Amino acid sequence: MKTTMKRVTTTVLALGMMSGPLAAAELRFTIWTGNEAHLKMLNGFAESFKAKHPDVTVKYETIPPGDYTQKLTFQLAGGNPPDAGWLMEDAAPTFASAGVLENLAPVLNKAEGYDFADFSKPALGLWTAGDKVYGVPFSTSPFVIFYNKDLFDKAGLEDPNALAAKGQWNMTKFQEVAKKLKDTSGKWGFEFKDGQGYDTRIMHALMPPIRAAGGDVWANKQCGFDKPEAVAAVKQLHDMVFKDKSIVPPGEQGDYFSGGSAMTINQISRASLMPKAGFKWGIAPLPTGAGGESPVIGQAGVVVFSAGKQKQLAAEFVAHVTNKENVAAAAQFFPPARKSVLESDAFIKSNNLIPPEQMKVVANAIAKGRVLPAHEKSPQILAAMKPRVDALWRANADVEASLKAICTAIQPLL
Amino acid sequence: MAKTLTMRDTTDREKASWLTLKMREAMEAWLFISPTLAGFLIFFVGPLIAVAWYSLTEWNLLTQQATFVGLDNYEDALFRNPDFWHVVRNSVIFAVGLVPLNMALALSLALPLSGRFPGVVIFRTVFFAPVVTSAVAWAIVWKFLLQGEAGFINQILAQIGIDGPNWLREPNWAMAAVIVTRVIKMVGLNMILYIAALQAIPRDYEAAARLEGASGWQIFRWITWPLLGPTTLVIMVITTIGSFKVFDHIYQMTGGGPENGTLVLAFYIYQQGFQFFDVGYASALAMIMFVIVMILTLFQLVLRRRDT
Repeated sequence: MKTTMKRVTTTVLALGMMSGPLAAAELRFTIWTGNEAHLKMLNGFAESFKAKHPDVTVKYETIPPGDYTQKLTFQLAGGNPPDAGWLMEDAAPTFASAGVLENLAPVLNKAEGYDFADFSKPALGLWTAGDKVYGVPFSTSPFVIFYNKDLFDKAGLEDPNALAAKGQWNMTKFQEVAKKLKDTSGKWGFEFKDGQGYDTRIMHALMPPIRAAGGDVWANKQCGFDKPEAVAAVKQLHDMVFKDKSIVPPGEQGDYFSGGSAMTINQISRASLMPKAGFKWGIAPLPTGAGGESPVIGQAGVVVFSAGKQKQLAAEFVAHVTNKENVAAAAQFFPPARKSVLESDAFIKSNNLIPPEQMKVVANAIAKGRVLPAHEKSPQILAAMKPRVDALWRANADVEASLKAICTAIQPLL
Repeated sequence: MAKTLTMRDTTDREKASWLTLKMREAMEAWLFISPTLAGFLIFFVGPLIAVAWYSLTEWNLLTQQATFVGLDNYEDALFRNPDFWHVVRNSVIFAVGLVPLNMALALSLALPLSGRFPGVVIFRTVFFAPVVTSAVAWAIVWKFLLQGEAGFINQILAQIGIDGPNWLREPNWAMAAVIVTRVIKMVGLNMILYIAALQAIPRDYEAAARLEGASGWQIFRWITWPLLGPTTLVIMVITTIGSFKVFDHIYQMTGGGPENGTLVLAFYIYQQGFQFFDVGYASALAMIMFVIVMILTLFQLVLRRRDT
């Protein structure tokens, strides 16, 4: 009898232990940051999600940004889909048209106090199709100029913010100060985002000056690289690289963050590198051109994968991380697309590395900016552009002919 | 005990007497090789058949939709896609540049290093070290050395009055640069193979030739070189195959650029399959590469057989 009782108790206990993990759920969420501050914040979101779903844990999986889209695709194709994750803007149209993203509208519309209308309409362009919502932008981060104040002071130059205040911060001035900075300090005047721009981040290099000149890389399925505005803008950039020698040329290393270049273009998430830089710095708007103020925005969204097994739960988690409170908390790293947060005082003061008046530059750029171009055939377009862009970045290149060649190569894909 | 064993042994044999000795041996042999055979079938033949099948489909990795298109992918690659022939040309240039350079360098290193003198092991290690160095680290270091004006190589060249090119940004120079850096990385492996082959040549041959008054060159030309023949063939075959399959080096150093100047077949396959997610097309290209490498290997084997 005793033995039987023992057996029953053991079985009950074992079943009890087994039912624990069975009831609990784990969401797998892919991201491309490994930054401790970012992870701490994300884990905080997972923790607060427990208020409604006490037995749900979220496992974040970091995939390096360079391999992100590719590895994510392998996971989806290999039958090992994450439940949810971040998605870069250039991959959004490809993924949405492939039907691998879940429509979040039903969950977002039902979520308590979510207020979907709070998201700025232009910021949702890449992520919605009619009533369907394939993702929610969590970072709508404009490109700004980071400058080395010490080098500007040494060269006796007014810094970009002072020039912008006088309405003089335009592409002509930008070229002029970049050259002076190079000539006086021996450091590079300017470098493209993260010292790239020629082999990778091609769009990040060409897009801002082209838009400032009033052009576009493509619009309405028409290539814009060979239009007069784009040609003029790229010619100026080419002169800066090869005639003025003020921009870090292809095949060389600059590194703004260690003082190698006086200016660079980047997003505010990079401000976290600045405390270690050891020089005075600031952020300023992009220089204007014939097209007036034309801020360029880089975007990333949160999505749920259709192949996942816990779509409803994953969608609820997306609604949680993009609610007003959490968007406000994330704003210090990832500028928001929620109007209420963007217009709040809290956002302007959210980043303790960037003074409020410079955060206004960011808020203003989000309000007026347009996102980088994206296309469902982005990978093919970039691959078709690459050899022609290589030809463009040679000292003796015929800029106009190279830009025409880019259009010939990508027009069929557009 | 021993008796019991013998009895059982006999009984077993009697039971299996319908099997001839030959059949029994064959069965044992199959049993012995079956683990390896299973691995070979699952991990080599299986994927090969799968790739051959995929190559007949239009299969998008992301949408997971596959449609049978017959030989369309092959037709497109061979007759409609101008990039394909450009890529094949690049692969041939890479192989033609790399194989002779690698073999010549490997042999010239192996000849002195096959001897026994103090410090020989250190020299062998030095030349072999790049083979075991991480390909990524190797490429990053070389990318730094081969930078434009600020690059170490160009600064050295400037000291002697030469204005070096921007190595990895000009198509022809970039190809030369990836070939040479690849040769330096991999030459140690072939060097070791040659050293082993040289050490296997009996000393008596050389001694006899010397007695006959043969010069160093004559000994090399008429004794060493012919005896190295089988090793040379093996080295030539594996280096050629390796050069057609080169991927990591190109991926790290040039990404196929500039102006597609170093876009080789393996990298192109990767691009189609893993960047554009067009697995069907990538599989067709992989099959074409398989055939090219197979033909080249057979050609070398025939050439060698005719030679001997």
